[in-house]
Amino acid sequence: MAYLLQQLLDVSADRHPDKPAVRARERSLTYAELHARSSQLAHLLRAQGVARGDRVGLFFPKAVESVVAMLGVLKAGAVYVPLDPHAPTRRLGAIAENCGISALVTTAERLRTLEPRALRCAVLVSGEPRAAHEIAWSALDAFPTSAPPDSGVETDLAYILYTSGSTGQPKGVMLTHRNALTFVDWCAATFVITADDRLSNHAPLHFDLSVFDIYNALGAGATVSLVHEELTVFPRRVADFIEQHGITVWYSVPSALVYLLLHADLAARDLDRLRLVLFAGEVFPMKYLQQLADLLPRAELYNLYGPTETNVCTYHHVDRWRLAGQDRLPIGRACANTEVLVLDADGRRVAPGEVGELYVRGPSVTPGYWGDAEKTRRALVPNPFQPHLDERLYRTGDLVTLDEHGELVFLGRRDNQVKSRGYRIELGDIEAALYAHPAVVEAAVVATRDEDLGSRLRAFVALKPGEDVTPASLQAHCAGLVPRYMVPETINVRDSLPKTSTGKTDRARLTAEGGV
Amino acid sequence: MDRDVRSVVRAFIATRLAPSAGRAEIADDEDLIDTGVVNSLGIFQLVAFLEERFQIAIGDEEITPENFGTIDGIERLVASRIAARAA
Repeated sequence: MAYLLQQLLDVSADRHPDKPAVRARERSLTYAELHARSSQLAHLLRAQGVARGDRVGLFFPKAVESVVAMLGVLKAGAVYVPLDPHAPTRRLGAIAENCGISALVTTAERLRTLEPRALRCAVLVSGEPRAAHEIAWSALDAFPTSAPPDSGVETDLAYILYTSGSTGQPKGVMLTHRNALTFVDWCAATFVITADDRLSNHAPLHFDLSVFDIYNALGAGATVSLVHEELTVFPRRVADFIEQHGITVWYSVPSALVYLLLHADLAARDLDRLRLVLFAGEVFPMKYLQQLADLLPRAELYNLYGPTETNVCTYHHVDRWRLAGQDRLPIGRACANTEVLVLDADGRRVAPGEVGELYVRGPSVTPGYWGDAEKTRRALVPNPFQPHLDERLYRTGDLVTLDEHGELVFLGRRDNQVKSRGYRIELGDIEAALYAHPAVVEAAVVATRDEDLGSRLRAFVALKPGEDVTPASLQAHCAGLVPRYMVPETINVRDSLPKTSTGKTDRARLTAEGGV
Repeated sequence: MDRDVRSVVRAFIATRLAPSAGRAEIADDEDLIDTGVVNSLGIFQLVAFLEERFQIAIGDEEITPENFGTIDGIERLVASRIAARAA
């Protein structure tokens, strides 16, 4: 039984050396090739001084090398940090600084935009090296194709995923090999992924949904096809991709499926091979889910739930016959080895039907945030039901209730976090970006619900007297600090923002009154 | 007419899509997809805008990288839809 993620590859490379393991952008690698190439990368990284536990950034658009890089870093005993290739440079710089990235796998072009201070080496998947610490991809050829011996243990970190933080600083969720394998093992048993399956990878690699795609494929000896970034803009191309690659297992945010439903003429396509469609990250609008279920009569549909900090912690099998009568889709029951608790403000369990906050415990739960003991303490609290063990509960911030079927139903948030196309967004993170503009004296961001996307972001700002700043220039300013999906769609400039009787910004009023 | 289409498309991209991608200037032959100026959200804002502004219909099968990859491509598509409307 694997206790390190890379051991999933060892087994499959042994059993299925000539099967395609990964496909991306018209290229593919067999299991033997993936195993050899990632071993070479591990040797190269070690030769460059990368040691157990060091952080290695992955910074390039999706390619077969993405999976080589993940496995290569793990085989070196190090920790990979996938960086959003479209995020603003300043945010990526803050991430590199925060977790002390000492090596990068990137392209020559992208390296010029980032260049972290503590950088020891950069391995270039494309482009020419210009300095001694820059290494061409072809340099891998010189290293052994057998893996270096595993020296890690299951509690070592495998990767760090950065997510929006409420004060303008992204926070790094640390995931161990055991965290990820708890999830992958549960998936393998629940969804019976086999070597005949073809998984898609739609989610970006810095998004935790991708963990399912990559490691379940590797564990089963199946093939994973990466949907590259430019393809996701065109729903019909994505549907062509599903057909051409013979995808059997699809996992994405609901909004990606809604786009396919609305714009890709699914009814005219041959999607019979699609046996499993999983979605997570946000609420699936019921009317679209019903349409999807009707269009894919042979596929099993599952709603998965879990913040990045817990991998997936609950799941719900969509019952086609019950769908018409459901107004909300449950997030379901706890996965294997996971316990979920619904507690009130005093930490007591609430009765079924009552509303409480969801807490999660078990081996899939993160040990905390990189370099942030304070945030870790607030999110991972002592378990009052296990006073004799030093065990932590992850506090999700999600409000839920237990329905009459014994399944959990998500009701909303207790704070200012919202979801847009599955991305977690702290409204405070965007407000911090607006406040960083020298002309802004007041800023508030509100989210309005949107059937197709989850939510839309609108900002309201008040400017210093005499300042004349256009909404477009404020958007451009935000785009320099936060990822694209966090830039408000509209920015309304006001003389001042409305206040509640206690002097706080009146968000409810801003949400209701609209503006452009 | 062609000049009008081009300047309207340019203006929409410059004010509505480019700022949130962190871009100031977009050349007419620049790749809008690679640069992230047109992403999975922006493409449908753009289509809705073009349909409304020019009173044309753009079919899902026309939402392709060839038609939406550059300002030049968008202009060609809009011109052909306007011609189809006139015919």
